[in-house]
Amino acid sequence: MEVLQSDSLLKISVNAHVYTDVMLAKCFYWYSNNYEVDFRKSGNENFEITLKPLRTSEVIDWTTIIPKIKQDLIDFKLRQHITDETKTIRELIIAKAFIYFDDEDAPVSEISDPVGFTPQSIKV
Amino acid sequence: MMAISTKTTDHSRKFKDFGDFLSTPGYALLPFKFHRISEEKEVLVNEIGDFLVTPSGTAARIVAREVNPENPSDLELYADLIANFFISPSPLPDLIEVLATRYRTKKSFLDYFTSLHIFVISLRCEHTCHYCQVSRVTTDKNRFDMSQFHIDEGIAMMMKSPNPRVTMEFQGGEALLAFENIVYAVEKTKMEADKHGKHVTYVVCTNLALLSDEMVQYFYANNILVSTSLDGPAFIHNKNRHKANANSHQLVIDGIHKCREILGEENVSALVTTTTLSLEYPEEIVDEYVRLGFHNIFLRPISPYGFATRNTNKNKYETARFLDFYKKALARIIQYNIEGYFIREDYASIILKKILTPFPVGYVDLQSPAGLITNVIVFNYDGSIYASDEARMLAEMNDQTFKLGTLGENTYEEIFYGGKAAALSEVMVNESLPGCSECAFQSYCGADPVFNHTTQGDLIGHRPTSSFCQRNMEIIRYLIETMDRNKEIEKIFRSWITDRS
Repeated sequence: MEVLQSDSLLKISVNAHVYTDVMLAKCFYWYSNNYEVDFRKSGNENFEITLKPLRTSEVIDWTTIIPKIKQDLIDFKLRQHITDETKTIRELIIAKAFIYFDDEDAPVSEISDPVGFTPQSIKV
Repeated sequence: MMAISTKTTDHSRKFKDFGDFLSTPGYALLPFKFHRISEEKEVLVNEIGDFLVTPSGTAARIVAREVNPENPSDLELYADLIANFFISPSPLPDLIEVLATRYRTKKSFLDYFTSLHIFVISLRCEHTCHYCQVSRVTTDKNRFDMSQFHIDEGIAMMMKSPNPRVTMEFQGGEALLAFENIVYAVEKTKMEADKHGKHVTYVVCTNLALLSDEMVQYFYANNILVSTSLDGPAFIHNKNRHKANANSHQLVIDGIHKCREILGEENVSALVTTTTLSLEYPEEIVDEYVRLGFHNIFLRPISPYGFATRNTNKNKYETARFLDFYKKALARIIQYNIEGYFIREDYASIILKKILTPFPVGYVDLQSPAGLITNVIVFNYDGSIYASDEARMLAEMNDQTFKLGTLGENTYEEIFYGGKAAALSEVMVNESLPGCSECAFQSYCGADPVFNHTTQGDLIGHRPTSSFCQRNMEIIRYLIETMDRNKEIEKIFRSWITDRS
């Protein structure tokens, strides 16, 4: 990971084979309260992320933010790993949770009687 | 040996020995999420809301398959992870049916559909509370009281709810200004409930200033619960709730005593409305509730309705102030419990029940899918139907986004299964909302599109600037961290969700 910083801008370059665009979007979403976030593919190898403070008057101490970004990137990569690896079992749990519990009550609406007999009176 | 700071109870794995876990090399991951709760600790939460507090880095070790049951220092962790459905020795867990049933139980609040039916019986009020932009000080009953036609239509719609147990809640303005309407509605509902086989719980929300002996006797005869507002000691309550030429605080206290005497202590509850003034007096507010013999207090966050703001910085500041207030008040409540006086904080109790039990909680603001429509519906004084109480307050600010229809004009099906309800349902599930989908506290929290719309002008909402998210994330984190840090407090918290220890 490469980092370039100035008073008003932080540029980070990360390996696109390590961090996908989904991971980056989920991670930097949480920085969008204080920063204008932009990320784009730089060649085939890297993503380039730019953070610009929303409040231009604010002096940013990037030295405290950079370690947090590094930690967050690792955390969101982990989260994505868990999400991807458990996708099938998660779907199975949810499907099993509800599949056997269909409401089998008789419909409450009235049944029409187009041919002149009461459907409920027929013995089956 | 690795320290696992919060262990699950031993009975959760009593059928297997450690040796059973040793026999299978490797493991499969089950769905779980994690969140750092302090420098040293992180909390793991699985798909059904079970949690473990572990040293930081444990999630990474689990994913990297570094938790080795053959390593004595990992044995306890490995057993906890297996027993609590974080990992499985086999790709398809033997107990997947149990997991599925637990998941269904967590969502069982949906089983019976709408229970709470709020009737805004009158918009008139004799108080002029500075934060309320809803009520009207007027004698114009025709314009601001619910008509008998709309009451009848509301009752008919309530009777169509699939839920066999419904709650009919009378709100205002000041509901007791239209006491004759309450009597009419209750008598009519009693007859209809018999016909439809419904069990109805009645609640009157009132400031108690107009309470008479006749009213209390009627409440007693019809098992009607009373919910009132008490904002703290007189200097706070009277400032918040101005009533011309009267002491609102004294009136509510007299009313509480009168109701308790006739209805019983358990049938009278009070709520705190937190205002900017309240934030400076957390301990004093708790002390007042204890002085009056209450055993619960509901520290509700400041509502954005009435003085809605879309100013991100102001919201953030207000949220930080509320959290500071909340923690100080919670500390005072815990101290009372330690000293032997049982008093429960209701917002924490709702969250703790979600954290510590397999059961859901019927609290509209912390549900996924959200509680609007599926759990609550509001019939306004003019016959308009809204998705929640907050939605009708929004309507008083000329925003009809959450108006679903009108009593007497729309059918049950059009209201509950119509296009608007369907459109809202897309933003009512936090499992699919940005920011929430990866959040470890997802199963303890909820979706609130009305709040998102009010504060951010967007039904989906932007979590990084959402005061709903900031507040709930911090309260949930704080509760877990506090339980992990102090076992005596954990015991107190557990007593709150089982009523008495």
